[in-house]
Amino acid sequence: MTGSMFDRMLRIDVGTKTASLWTVPSDVRAYLGGIGYGVKILSDEVDPTIDPLSPTNKVVLTVGPLTGTSAPMHAQTCLVTKSPLTGTILNSYAGGFLGPEIKFCGLDGIILEGAAPEWLLLLIDDDAVRFESAEAIVGKTTEETETHIKETYGQDYRTLSIGPAGERAVAMAGTFSETRAFGRGGSGAVLGSKRIKAIGIRGTGGVAVTDPDAFRDLTARNMDTLRGARAEEYGLLGIFSKYGTGGGMPLVQAHGALPTMNHTYGSFEGADKIDGPFYEESFYTRDIACFGCPIHCGRVHKFRGADGSELWGRGPEYETMFSLGSNLLNGDAERLAEVNRLTELYGVDSLTTGVTIAWALEMAEAGKLSTPGLDLRFGNADAVLDLLHAICAREGIGDLLAKGPREAALELGNDGLGRAMQVKNSGFAAWMPRRMKGTGLAYATSNRGACHKRAPIGAEIAGQLDMDSYEGKAAVLIDVQNTVNAVFTLISCRFHEFATDHEVYPAFVRSAIGRDATWSEMVALGERIWNLEKLFNLKAGLTREDDRLPEKCFEPVLGETSQSAVIEAARFEAMLDEYYSLRGWDSEGVPRREKLIELGIGDYAV
Amino acid sequence: MGFVVDVERCTECKRCAIACSLAKTGAVRIQDSRIDIRPTWPDVPEIRVCRFEDCEGQPCIESCPVSAIRNIEGVILIDAETCIGCGACEAVCPYWAIRIRDGVALKCDLCAGDPACVKECVTAALRSKEAAP
Repeated sequence: MTGSMFDRMLRIDVGTKTASLWTVPSDVRAYLGGIGYGVKILSDEVDPTIDPLSPTNKVVLTVGPLTGTSAPMHAQTCLVTKSPLTGTILNSYAGGFLGPEIKFCGLDGIILEGAAPEWLLLLIDDDAVRFESAEAIVGKTTEETETHIKETYGQDYRTLSIGPAGERAVAMAGTFSETRAFGRGGSGAVLGSKRIKAIGIRGTGGVAVTDPDAFRDLTARNMDTLRGARAEEYGLLGIFSKYGTGGGMPLVQAHGALPTMNHTYGSFEGADKIDGPFYEESFYTRDIACFGCPIHCGRVHKFRGADGSELWGRGPEYETMFSLGSNLLNGDAERLAEVNRLTELYGVDSLTTGVTIAWALEMAEAGKLSTPGLDLRFGNADAVLDLLHAICAREGIGDLLAKGPREAALELGNDGLGRAMQVKNSGFAAWMPRRMKGTGLAYATSNRGACHKRAPIGAEIAGQLDMDSYEGKAAVLIDVQNTVNAVFTLISCRFHEFATDHEVYPAFVRSAIGRDATWSEMVALGERIWNLEKLFNLKAGLTREDDRLPEKCFEPVLGETSQSAVIEAARFEAMLDEYYSLRGWDSEGVPRREKLIELGIGDYAV
Repeated sequence: MGFVVDVERCTECKRCAIACSLAKTGAVRIQDSRIDIRPTWPDVPEIRVCRFEDCEGQPCIESCPVSAIRNIEGVILIDAETCIGCGACEAVCPYWAIRIRDGVALKCDLCAGDPACVKECVTAALRSKEAAP
């Protein structure tokens, strides 16, 4: 045990129903925690060519040196596995209270292995594991499942679950944890393949640090910084604190970068009827926070369902206001909240699910997708509800869509692939790459498929970078990717970095676990992790072809504010070449041996 | 003496409990916190902490078979040396503000008038009674 790290993880093999404590070896500890632990362990223990839904896949849940401490905005848990959606290595994050609870169990993480013959509910009390039958909750929603755990075994359990979508191997099924979700990449289908319906976890221990005085001072200063950022009316954290993540929607709309009608337009007429301020003003709203977070960007709303019943819902988050809102021409805040709630109950990622539905609507309107009995068109919220039910039940057209946007397009044919707004079968996030060229390159090159978590969004939207320019974007993006991977070793909230000086991170690490690491060493670690992910993907069979954007990105965006923005194919390829070259990779995107040796991972070369 | 509690403002972040356990034990251990936030989804949570002068009758004092609980100038305190950990006070507390840990009853002692939890509450869901609203 070193300060706030326990140097042990719990390995649970659900096939043999055995659990053991694993001492984290020094070559893993060198990766600090979080994404570093997850990517290192998966790279060492899982063959990249396996079927992600086979028993040989593993799910690695990790926390970091600041999880469960007083450091604000470090509540998240990292999940690493091989993704059934993308076929890549996946890292996915959920906030809330799960991560601190893992720490209170005296653990730095949990590794889930094997596959059970029958559905299981795992109960973890500190480092003891019980394997309970989940027969009573199979088919239940995430909310019913988690309520069942708390009512049957105790309200103190923190919970994690999959819904019907995960049970049925829907490729974009997520893993849910109370008010938060590991949304991206289909981790819910992996848990489903292992027959893990849910986990309850309860820890009785505490988290201490190596230098309590220094840590207390750092926390106090960081809290002052965040209190200041929270109070800034026009700052991002101020907006998120006041309106939730949907508070940023008007800004994106103003820039013509709000993807609308399957990325046909860059602004949505009804945006001001579904954005954060609208929800705040129109519905009973409660702010909710993750463990120890002063920003409280989470929202709970009370609204009316289509049948007139009173419903409660978490969110929708900004990304969902796009994916199930503007992108579907759904301008009804209550229908949006209802569909969002259903994605959570059924247990699917609202982002890629919405992107897949948008593709289906475009194909149906073009007469290229036959859907008897369904009235599929943009703006018809009932059709969205019907499709969502069908996807999660894998019925009719839903079975096709449940494979994700690229796979559905490939199976359908009819020139649909270029209209599916995805990279590596993962749906675009709520930022329009034609308006934001660096974000386009980020979608293309992300190791987990079209992803906004490591994109120069802030700089492009806030005007530090020319949104429409290609110049210098590759270098900026690489810096963002390495930096974010560095802070994800601590699993800092993505928003923490918006207000915090980078020097805070090594200072926190020093006082938490007594390890001296400079910020530039942490960024180099981020780069090392990025390259390990890339190597996993190459070994899994991905190529430069998988780093491309769909055809629709090379056609102009419609609508005034978007200024006919377009990505020129040749310039995109040049930007990708530049990106590979600056990364130290060859023209096919394969890391050069000398680069890997420089990063200390020569042994992992393809 | 005591707290002003505005539960509608509570975001359930538990910074209060983090600060409390740190102040009392030097580690973050929510079980040791003298304040607890209990979610009651989807409604507002319960804030479980002693309400001092707002607590009608202060039944914990009467309940104690060994007179370990006393009201000293408005602050209700448990003498850990005298406490036998019987749980009688825990059972009668209307605010679920007392817990038995390691054979001793724990409750808020107002940190000698300067509660650590209040300083951490960014939404002012929890305030010190003396402070202006």
